[in-house]
Amino acid sequence: MKTFFKAIGNLFRKPVTIKYPFEKTYIPDDYRGMIGFNENLCIWCRRCELACPPGAIVFSQNMEGRQTYHYNKAVCIFCDECIRTCPKEGALFQTNQPATFALKKDNINNGWNHLFEEAIESRAIYAAEKKRLAAERTAGVKKAVEENNHKT
Amino acid sequence: MAKQYEIPVGAQHISLLEPLHFKFTTENEKIVGTTANLFYVHRGIEKACCSKFKFRQVSFVVGRVCGLCSISHATAYSQVAEKLIKIEIPRRAKYLRMLVIELDRIHSHLLCLSHVAENSGFEALFMRTMQYREPFMELLEAVCGNRIQYDFSIVGGVARDLKSAVSRMILERLKRFKPQLDELVDIYQNNWSLSLKNKGAGAITKEDAMRLNVVGPFARAAGLEIDVRNETEDLLPWKETGFKIVTETAGDAYARNLLRLREINVSMHIIENIINGLPESALITETKAFPDGEAVARLEAPRGELFYYAKGNKTQILERLKIKAPTFSNIPAMVEGFRENEYGSVPAIIASYDPCLSCTAR
Repeated sequence: MKTFFKAIGNLFRKPVTIKYPFEKTYIPDDYRGMIGFNENLCIWCRRCELACPPGAIVFSQNMEGRQTYHYNKAVCIFCDECIRTCPKEGALFQTNQPATFALKKDNINNGWNHLFEEAIESRAIYAAEKKRLAAERTAGVKKAVEENNHKT
Repeated sequence: MAKQYEIPVGAQHISLLEPLHFKFTTENEKIVGTTANLFYVHRGIEKACCSKFKFRQVSFVVGRVCGLCSISHATAYSQVAEKLIKIEIPRRAKYLRMLVIELDRIHSHLLCLSHVAENSGFEALFMRTMQYREPFMELLEAVCGNRIQYDFSIVGGVARDLKSAVSRMILERLKRFKPQLDELVDIYQNNWSLSLKNKGAGAITKEDAMRLNVVGPFARAAGLEIDVRNETEDLLPWKETGFKIVTETAGDAYARNLLRLREINVSMHIIENIINGLPESALITETKAFPDGEAVARLEAPRGELFYYAKGNKTQILERLKIKAPTFSNIPAMVEGFRENEYGSVPAIIASYDPCLSCTAR
């Protein structure tokens, strides 16, 4: 009998569920959402890239030595490890925006793997170039010193 | 002797939550023999932890071993890694870990109870239990920043602090949950139609439980006093927070339901105590040491004793990581528990075992 009255009462009660796409679900202020990046504050130490467990952050480098930050929201697990490792406060920060869905046209897996490899390679090329220039410079200096010695 | 039939259940079945396979030998409706095959979801996590990831990153990897007891895995791994690099974590971090573990236990037990109700054919109770579980998911989201993958325990401490607004929210929600829990206890204890499916189903005696090395709520429902929280004090101070062991004697699905409800009560008590007496200290101990030597850690996950073994070799990458999940210990008893039961009560029995196959097969 108690159950019967309860069932009747439930007819007039508000539903517990929410109409999801039209109503927003509960999201706290410090929800672990997408990682933000402030280029002006970054000191380009690449510690976040080393710390990131799934490899969602990578830095590429052009021939002038300028680095670019790449972030993949679909690979990121929002663990905040990059923010904890970052030595410069505010360069990487947490937003409470949930990540949007990755679409097929974004080519998130293959595209990202390709980009990751390219970025690592670009840094290697830059490092090799720098090494070569440094070697040339030392050779030039050596030559100049030798010539100088020869003259005297 | 009646004719025997073999009936397979799984690996995909309408009443199963997890990919597990049982083959029942039945006489009429009675089960006389069972074989189990539970390793369908092997993901190679142990190997990945020892080859691809650095030891500080592994706590995020093992957090993804299981969706329901994510925090237990991450905490147990953190404890092992802290033993390997020989550090002591701050006091506040210990209490915050315990807080999240207990919140996790409440939501995990409520999920299990709701599935027992559903698999017994009581859909309305399933909905009601899930309704009461939702606030706890939101609490976990408020504390950890995410509903399921908490990433709360890291090597050396915890990742986030507990805000005062969130702790007020927890206390308020617990206060609101108390009458709801009483209502659930009333239904699970006294509902006649639920008792038809649950009383005497999947029963296991205390001697069998002892012999088959059962852990967790499964063992405590059979009368064994097995609880890691009762045995260890060195890693997490459980007894300070008012932990009390609860046991039942019958060992059937009905006793497991009641035991889980009573454990929720104990967990609520622990959470209240932790929030009221949370010590002030730093959250994380920083160190640059590398893991060296061998260590083990035990932790009471919602399903039973979780065991971690790790071996380090003074490099960033561990040499070996071994995870033994509670369901793995329970498999022999799960097979034993089906004996002499009706085939029709199998879904309810499986749900009351609360198996977690993604933990077991990793």
